[in-house]
Formats: sequence, structure tokens, C-alpha cells
Amino acid sequence: MSIIELNNVSFDYQSGEDLSRGVKNINLKIEKGKFIVLLGHNGSGKSTLAKLLNGFLIPDEGDVIVNGIHTKDTKRIYDIRAKVGMVFQNPDNQMVASIIEDDLAFGPENLGVPREEIQKRVDWALEAVNMNEYRYGTPYKLSGGQKQRIAIAAILAMLPEILILDESTAMLDPKGRAEVMETAKRLNRDNNMTVILITHYMDEAIDADEVIVLNDGEIAIQGTPKEVFRETEIIKEAGLELPVSTQVALLLQKAGHPVPLVLHDEELVEAVCRLK
Amino acid sequence: MNRDITFGQYYPADSFVHKMDPRVKLILVVAFIVAVFLVKSLFSYIAITIFVIVGILGSHVPIKSILKSVRGIIFVVLLTAILNVFFYSGGERVLVHWWKITITVESLLFALRMALRLIFLVLGTTLLTLTTTPMNLTDGMESLMAPLKLIRFPIHDVAIIMSIALRFIPILMEEVNKIMLAQKARGADFESGGLMKRARALLPVLIPLFVSAFRRADELALALDARCYNATPHRTKYKVLKLGWRDAAGAFYSALLIFAVVAINASFWGLFGFSLSV
Repeated sequence: MSIIELNNVSFDYQSGEDLSRGVKNINLKIEKGKFIVLLGHNGSGKSTLAKLLNGFLIPDEGDVIVNGIHTKDTKRIYDIRAKVGMVFQNPDNQMVASIIEDDLAFGPENLGVPREEIQKRVDWALEAVNMNEYRYGTPYKLSGGQKQRIAIAAILAMLPEILILDESTAMLDPKGRAEVMETAKRLNRDNNMTVILITHYMDEAIDADEVIVLNDGEIAIQGTPKEVFRETEIIKEAGLELPVSTQVALLLQKAGHPVPLVLHDEELVEAVCRLK
Repeated sequence: MNRDITFGQYYPADSFVHKMDPRVKLILVVAFIVAVFLVKSLFSYIAITIFVIVGILGSHVPIKSILKSVRGIIFVVLLTAILNVFFYSGGERVLVHWWKITITVESLLFALRMALRLIFLVLGTTLLTLTTTPMNLTDGMESLMAPLKLIRFPIHDVAIIMSIALRFIPILMEEVNKIMLAQKARGADFESGGLMKRARALLPVLIPLFVSAFRRADELALALDARCYNATPHRTKYKVLKLGWRDAAGAFYSALLIFAVVAINASFWGLFGFSLSV
């Protein structure tokens, strides 16, 4: 059974802005333990879709079902939110406490988790994001990537089954982005965490199990990274940019060289070396 | 631009004072403030000074960080001292008499006493905020305000508001600096001109600051929801406040101080107080 199911979901943003930012007729099944990347440019509706997944927004039409619970079921909304943890763009705006361990404890406290259990969860969550030594520190002196890892740990302390990173890498420098990506991949691999990463950087999608490209509120294409990256026209139309190595490979193909479609830089190097 | 945000900032250390219960510390600070207002004689000032010094030594906070907070109010202290010197009426031993202004030994001593009082007040409260994390402080206040629950006062919400406010002070300070630099790069001038002109120059700083603060508040509200704030009325506490022997010792020590101050003030020792000691 899929952990999240969207059946014919539509949502219209009631805002006066030019961008509609809504989503239309989304059908989606997300399997447990998968690493899913949701791609789209600004205003493509990707954040709206994310907010539909944990009940921040309730669809106008269609159903969102998380772990068998309907997001329209307002009585069980916190069961959903505890299961679908969401990390946002700006790490500074997600922390409520000035001491890191207190911040991590905030979520479990809200859920009424007993004290000893909170202790264990804080230990585990800090370990999971590799930030153990900062436990008693304050967030002020941390780098962007470290702050975002703390924000992830704060969500992990609620023991979610699904981790949504809503453009959590968008504000970070390349080093911070790499840190957050590495953390997300490790959680997916070692803890069987279902990860939904929302971004407009295509290079973050190369290791995903599944890539979903959103354009104008609709799913433009969906599949494995190789399946998606091949569709250059659709990618272009969705306002996205392929990773450099894929672009190079495609140009080489166009020039008549027998190069396969590659995603990683290393793959490209290998393919080019084999050319002669 | 005043970038010094040390005032009220936690200084991490593992000391006697740090380990005390925030509730006890809060009550002791209130008691200390009362004691400071009770002091009259030289000996009670000495008692207070000893109390403060022992408190600072017991907190392992470097004297520099504590004096920083005094530096912040030095202007207020000097101003009140000067006003007190001029406006103190009475006193017999005249030092200077010029036009309508009379400075007496008594007025000088009075001004000195007032200045010391202010400095003691700041030292005491700074010691509290330097040795207590904001989270502990709000926890302490929440616990002390617990009786208000009876009249359905939302104590927990207030505690969260306080903790978030404290958390965002340095972030917003940083933002002010950033905006000021951005406006300076566009030719804004914050340093010259009179008070009105300078106040007006700050307007292009305040507006973006407010806009950004509201945007942050929006995101924070989402983040609070994402972390299931108010999910259950049976919220648990990660850090439970516990009274220990340190709290008893601290309370005893402070009670001793207040007793000493009152006793010295009342007894004949008071006669040899400040005014006669010169």
C-alpha cells in the first residue's frame, strides 16, 4: 500500500497574484521508503502540492490520503502532521528555542511524549543529522547548512515516516546544500525514511528513485531520473535546467558521438574517456 | 550602530549559580531588588557589594561580560547622578554655592548612593540572564505563573511568545544591520543631522524590517503547525525544574543578605552610615 495517495486533487490559491500557484488533477502514489524529488520552477505549484500532503491545505477537489487517514479529517490532522514532517526554506524561521536540544524537544513536547522518551528521541535525532556536539549550543553561530540540519532533526524528533523538504536547500550555499542533501539521502538509506524533496535544482534529482516535474500546477512528467532527464523539451518548457554533465552528454549525442545519457559528472568523464 | 547584544544574553558555564532553579533565581532577584531599595547605611552597601561579588564569583561569568551591561546604562547613571547633585535639597555642609545652585556634601553622597543603586540593580538582573537560558527563564516564569491557570490565563502561550521573542532578538538585530548597510550603499545617511533628521533617516530601515518580520512570522506560524503546536492539551515537558540543595543554599544566603541589610539599617550602626563616614 502506498503511504500517500492523491486522487484527482485540485486546489486553487485564492490570492490576487498573477501566478495561480494552484494544482490541477494530480494523481500520485508515493511508496514507503522511496526518495522522491518534486521539481518545478517558481509558481509551478510545487509548494502548494507539498502543503496538501500534510493537511496545511485541504484540496478543493479530490482526496489526499496519508497512511489511510484523510487530510479532510480535521480531528486527526495532528496524526498526519506528526507522520508527515515538513522542513521549510529558511532555517532561522523554524526554530522556537534558543538552545538546540530545547528546540528539538519542542515537537515531542507538543505531542505529549513522556520525558524519558523525548530524551531518547533528541539523542537519536542529533545523531541522525550528525550534530551531536552542538546539543547545548545556540543556533546563532551555526552555518546555514548546520541550521537546516538542526531543523531536520527537530522534525525527526517527532518520528515522522515521511520527511518533506520544502525548498530546504534553496537558501543555502553549495556546501550547505551538499550537507542537507547528504543528510536526506542517508536518512532515506539507513532509516528507510520516505523523503520528498522539493526543489528547482535538477542536479538534486539525479539520485532519486522517482522524479516528478510540475509545470503550471500539473504533472508534466514522472519517472526515474533517466526517463525524465531524457525529455529535454518538457524540461525546457517547465523552466528547468538540466545538470551540466547531462547537457554536455546531450550535445555530444547531437554532434554524433555515441555517448549515453549521463547524470553524474563521473559518468560523463567515463563515457568521454571511452570515446576516442 | 549598537551591535552589542550581550545584555541579557546567556553565558554558558557549569557553575553553582547556573545550576540553580530558575524559579528560585527569579524570586531571589526580586528579593535582591527589594534589598537594594532598602539599603541606607554604608555598612548595608558593603553587605550588598559582598553579596554581588560572591554571586558573580559563584557564576563563573567573566567580570568583563558583566561590566558590559553596566556600560550600557552608564549614561543613565551619570545623568541621574548629576540631576541628583543639583536638585537634592537640604544638607548643611556646603561645598559650592553659585547663583541658585548649591552643592553640598549630602547631595554628593545622595547622588552616589542612587548611582550605586542603579548599578546594583543592573548587576543583579544581568547575573540572572547571564546564568539562565531564555528557555529556562520562561519555564521558570511559566511555573511561577501557574496559579493564573485557575482564571484560564493562557500561560503556556505567553511562555512560548516570550521564548520566541528572545530567540528572534539577535536575528532581527542582524537584519537591521543588513538593511542599514544596504541603504548606506544606496546613499542613505544615518549619522549626520539633528535628532529629527536622523529619526526620519531610519524610516527606510524600519519599513523593510517590519515587512521582513511579518514574513518571518508567517513562516514561523507554519513551522509551529508543522511541529504540532497545540496538538494536545496534555503537553509534556522535556526539562523538569527541580529544587536542589543549591537552591536552598542560595535562598538562605539571600535571606541572610536581606536580614543583614534591614538589621544594619535599623540598628545604631546605621548612625555611622554613609553621611557620617566622610
